[in-house]
Amino acid sequence: MKRALFALCGLMASGVVLADGLQDIKDRGALRCATLTDSVPLGYQDPATREIVGLDVDLCKALAQQLGVKVELQGVAVSARIPTLISGRADVVAAALGYTKARAEQIEFSSAYYQVPIKVLVKGDSNIKTFDDFTDKRISAIKSSTPELYARQQITQAKVVGFEDAPSAFLALQQGKVQGMAMTEPAAIRFHVRSENMHFLDQALHYEPNCIGIKKGELALTAAVDKALADMEASGELQALWDKWYGEGSEFKLAREKKLTPLTDFQ
Amino acid sequence: MSIFNGFASLLQGDYLHAFLGGMALTLELFVISAVLAFLLACVLMAIRLVPGRATDVLVSAYVEYHRNVPSLVQLFVWYFGVPQLLPASTQNLINDNGGEVIFAIIALTLNAAAYVSEDLRSGFRSLPSGQTEASRALGLGYVQTLRKVLIPQAIWASAPSLVNQTLGLFKTTALAMAIGTAELMYITRQIEGETYMTFQTFAVASLFYLLGSWAIMLCGSLLQQRNQSRMAR
Repeated sequence: MKRALFALCGLMASGVVLADGLQDIKDRGALRCATLTDSVPLGYQDPATREIVGLDVDLCKALAQQLGVKVELQGVAVSARIPTLISGRADVVAAALGYTKARAEQIEFSSAYYQVPIKVLVKGDSNIKTFDDFTDKRISAIKSSTPELYARQQITQAKVVGFEDAPSAFLALQQGKVQGMAMTEPAAIRFHVRSENMHFLDQALHYEPNCIGIKKGELALTAAVDKALADMEASGELQALWDKWYGEGSEFKLAREKKLTPLTDFQ
Repeated sequence: MSIFNGFASLLQGDYLHAFLGGMALTLELFVISAVLAFLLACVLMAIRLVPGRATDVLVSAYVEYHRNVPSLVQLFVWYFGVPQLLPASTQNLINDNGGEVIFAIIALTLNAAAYVSEDLRSGFRSLPSGQTEASRALGLGYVQTLRKVLIPQAIWASAPSLVNQTLGLFKTTALAMAIGTAELMYITRQIEGETYMTFQTFAVASLFYLLGSWAIMLCGSLLQQRNQSRMAR
């Protein structure tokens, strides 16, 4: 038992010291890139073709092209994102990874390739106009998401209730179990346009920087990903990705307010 | 970086506080629903013993629903479905007073009671029919026969499967996180989302469930031993 434990520790330690993810990718000739499979428009199944498509899927493909290798797409569930990286099942994870300082102790983050505002949706007939009006009220959010975190930190006078997924959080708002729903604007827009008499508060809780996740200690790979992203921003490719999935042509119709932002801006 | 790092930062300050709160709520859900479920199960079994087709159909419909519909769906029905039938003022009252906990307890209780009543019933059927006849011949009424003679024996006869159901209920409490009840799994997911320490947070939760399950099994076998030595006398 003790020996096995030592071997395990050794394995984990050596994994960090010896591995060079970038070299492995080049040797393999393929970038293993994990995306969500149930999140519009990041990664979801196209009903017509049955293929996983989305902003993150396109990003994976473009990233592999920049690195000069083929792409191997993988699906990943939200709570499996970090284990997927740590165990080395995927080289990079592009799956709505919002940067926070605490999270950055576990994995490397790339520059933020897109940022979306986190908003609070309320019922039209409610008298809630600002965050201050939430005293002793309740706010729903998706459990363990950053909107939940920021709502808890910034609207301290309210009770934040986390639900399993977006539809449950929205149903709670509809039924009056909560008085507001904190969510990234694109995720909430889909509910907003499908229901009457709901509106967003003007105030944004936060701008969520979304980054590519890389295993802790893979500095060469992180630098390569950052360089690829910078080149894609310079060539207009990142803007085109946004326009395709979030822009005027999509159901979200969101303007891209923030360009590629290095992590140092958030620290 | 090793997987063993990070436990120290999880087990202090705000995170420790949150974990303890989650554990307390898990225990609260478990203890309250276990007690209520046991009492309800006894009532259900007694109803089923009353001769008559209507009561039998009623109870077996109850049992079938709770055994065949996923527990998660039952939770959703209680949290999102049933309140819609209540007047708005009652709904608000429940929402303001921790509806997540109340509905979780109701759903868990009803679910567990269905299983426990079936276990009690099979324990009951293992009793020789002479027991009923003897106690009736001694002048005990129907309810007295049940309460003093049959149910105590049925409980002991079904003790092993009751321990199983108790273990099941202890772990089913984790489903309550789906309706926003801040029990241990909810807190685990929340801290995981904040820190991305997936392995460590789930390890803490697993250890708690493991220790809790062991404690339940230990209690079960101690009770059974005590009963056996009492019977031997």
